[in-house]
Amino acid sequence: MAKVVVTPETFAFVSFDANHIVELTGKIADKVGLPADTEIRIEIDETTPLGRTKLLSLDPITLAVEGGSFEDAKRPRQLSDTSVIDVVGRLLFRAKDRLDAGFAAAPDDDALTLQQHTAWDTYAVGRCDRAGWAPQKKRRLYHFRNRHGFTDVADAAFDRLWNADGLTWADLEAACAETEAARVPAG
Amino acid sequence: MKKILPPEELARDSRFVRLSMEDRFSDRRSPGGGGSTSGRTGPTKLTPDAPQAPDRARALMHGIFVGEIQALEGAGRTCWDFEVGPHFDEVPFALKLDMARQCWDEARHCEISIKLSEWMGTELGEFAESTFLYEAACNPDPVLRLTGVNRALEGLAIDVFNTMREFGQSAGDPVLEFCEDWMLADEVTHVKMGSDWLRRITEKDPDRRERALEFQRVVDKLFSLGGFRGEDDDSPIRLARKFREMAGFTHEEVDEISDLSKQARAEGEARLAQANAS
Amino acid sequence: MADSKKPRPAFAPWDRRELPGMFDVEETARRVGHYKWVEMRLFEALGGWVATVPELDVKLRLGTHCYKHAWHADLWNKRLPELREMNTERLTVPPNDEFVTFMDAITEPEGPDQTLEKLVGVYRVLIPHKIAAYTYHLNNTSTITDAPTMRSLRFVLNDEFEDWRDGEMLIQSLITDEADVQRAATHQARCEGLIVKAGGIAGPGSIGSTDVAVPEEVTA
Repeated sequence: MAKVVVTPETFAFVSFDANHIVELTGKIADKVGLPADTEIRIEIDETTPLGRTKLLSLDPITLAVEGGSFEDAKRPRQLSDTSVIDVVGRLLFRAKDRLDAGFAAAPDDDALTLQQHTAWDTYAVGRCDRAGWAPQKKRRLYHFRNRHGFTDVADAAFDRLWNADGLTWADLEAACAETEAARVPAG
Repeated sequence: MKKILPPEELARDSRFVRLSMEDRFSDRRSPGGGGSTSGRTGPTKLTPDAPQAPDRARALMHGIFVGEIQALEGAGRTCWDFEVGPHFDEVPFALKLDMARQCWDEARHCEISIKLSEWMGTELGEFAESTFLYEAACNPDPVLRLTGVNRALEGLAIDVFNTMREFGQSAGDPVLEFCEDWMLADEVTHVKMGSDWLRRITEKDPDRRERALEFQRVVDKLFSLGGFRGEDDDSPIRLARKFREMAGFTHEEVDEISDLSKQARAEGEARLAQANAS
Repeated sequence: MADSKKPRPAFAPWDRRELPGMFDVEETARRVGHYKWVEMRLFEALGGWVATVPELDVKLRLGTHCYKHAWHADLWNKRLPELREMNTERLTVPPNDEFVTFMDAITEPEGPDQTLEKLVGVYRVLIPHKIAAYTYHLNNTSTITDAPTMRSLRFVLNDEFEDWRDGEMLIQSLITDEADVQRAATHQARCEGLIVKAGGIAGPGSIGSTDVAVPEEVTA
């Protein structure tokens, strides 16, 4: 199992259990297929209810998450396993992709367009689905449509990315180009 | 069946979880509570190209959905809580008919919101519910109740639906735009009901009218939420001046809400600045 | 084309409407006043119940039906002055005290665990009785003199049938075991007993009388 470190170790603003997050992350990393000796750090900003998340680095794999992203939307300040799995699963699949030569040409996360970002998320969350984590597929489809257009072409691209394995950065770029070509300007 | 049903007795199935006032106010992460404010600039406009836009829109629409349930419940309770008559705690027959009509409209809004939630990938009860809308519908004075709900809250609904309609338009989301357009039409009717009844019932009672308008101001300021709703370019929810005037608000009344929103924004920014400085 | 100056019968051959009706103006106004009273009590109760019912589909149906009964009340309210009753409140009354007791029983269930009782009282007892009384009125009033009431009755009956079906289907979906069957039956029996005592939504004679005059036996 991967070596996971969560900071902070104790929480003052929220009722999170760092050990439980460590345990969950270890299991997720195994299912994602990361090597057993992988080092993963999760830096949680517990002082904000916002929900932004980021893959900060690959060695060690470092995830920066705002507290709201791990929170139960129904119960403020309470940890939600579903939310942890949703965020960590998605980001670890992205980390795994970045460690693969097929994604060597991918820009840094900060340089990704919203379309590229969402296409990559779709590819990652589709794999989370097949890992048995039952993510919200319709929510992801709505994200995808917002970024790639409310078109049949976009829906078909979503399905393809969701069900895919072994894609490369070029495949994601091609999907983005395809939806862009089909996009009707809003208005 | 008792008159005036307290908010804590609102009936929900197991999918819904209620956020208590205590929960809301004891969250130390809110500005001034000691939480981080880095990267926070106060409320920001909801635009399709904002990084979290789809999820923000989903959360907002779920809030609107539970608001519609409470608006339905509030209008229904107004049908039940007051007898027909000329006295202070009674209402005209036609007012009750309007409230029954509003029940049907709000029930349809719930239906629309449920279909829209499905479209946006939101599960019913996915987010916690606050009962603040229904709380305004518990006022024992029917005039204050109608002013607080139909003019302040349904007025806010006009602003929200108009903003979300524009959001749907610019995001190219045909379903969101369609739903908001229809709900907006009903809200204009509801606000007009509130404006008309306020004028008619308090025609010979200026004190009561002033109390009702003061109650509306309190609710309006509360729902300006630190600048959440206003006329600035970056206001998350834009004050829908044209539709409010269609619904019986005078130009001056809209100006007043705009001023309240500016005040609420300034106060919110001051809290944020204070939190950043400490 | 037919000669437009040629006299034609005022009632076309297919128009079989007739003058006679069971109700004079006063009786019609009395019944319409009771109808308005019961429609008001019903829409108020449905509106009040919305907040007390946890089942989302039931909640939304009650909200929708609330308006329909309010609209019926408005139709009857508008009909009263046309029946020489300028003070509409005077006739907006229950037919008798027994009917008040019945409506109290219908609106009594309040808790979130009493959805079945709420629906049974309305959709298995009250609405069937309304359909019966409205149908009796429609079928027995003068088709010429009371046409406005008939028009309203037809609109109202259309709603009642639709709402009865909605309500009955909700009830069937809530009844899942023998205990539920008994609960529904017990409440229905209680309410039915009370409305029988009241004589229906317009009091005794709500649906006419089924008594037949039998000639006395002649003895030698």
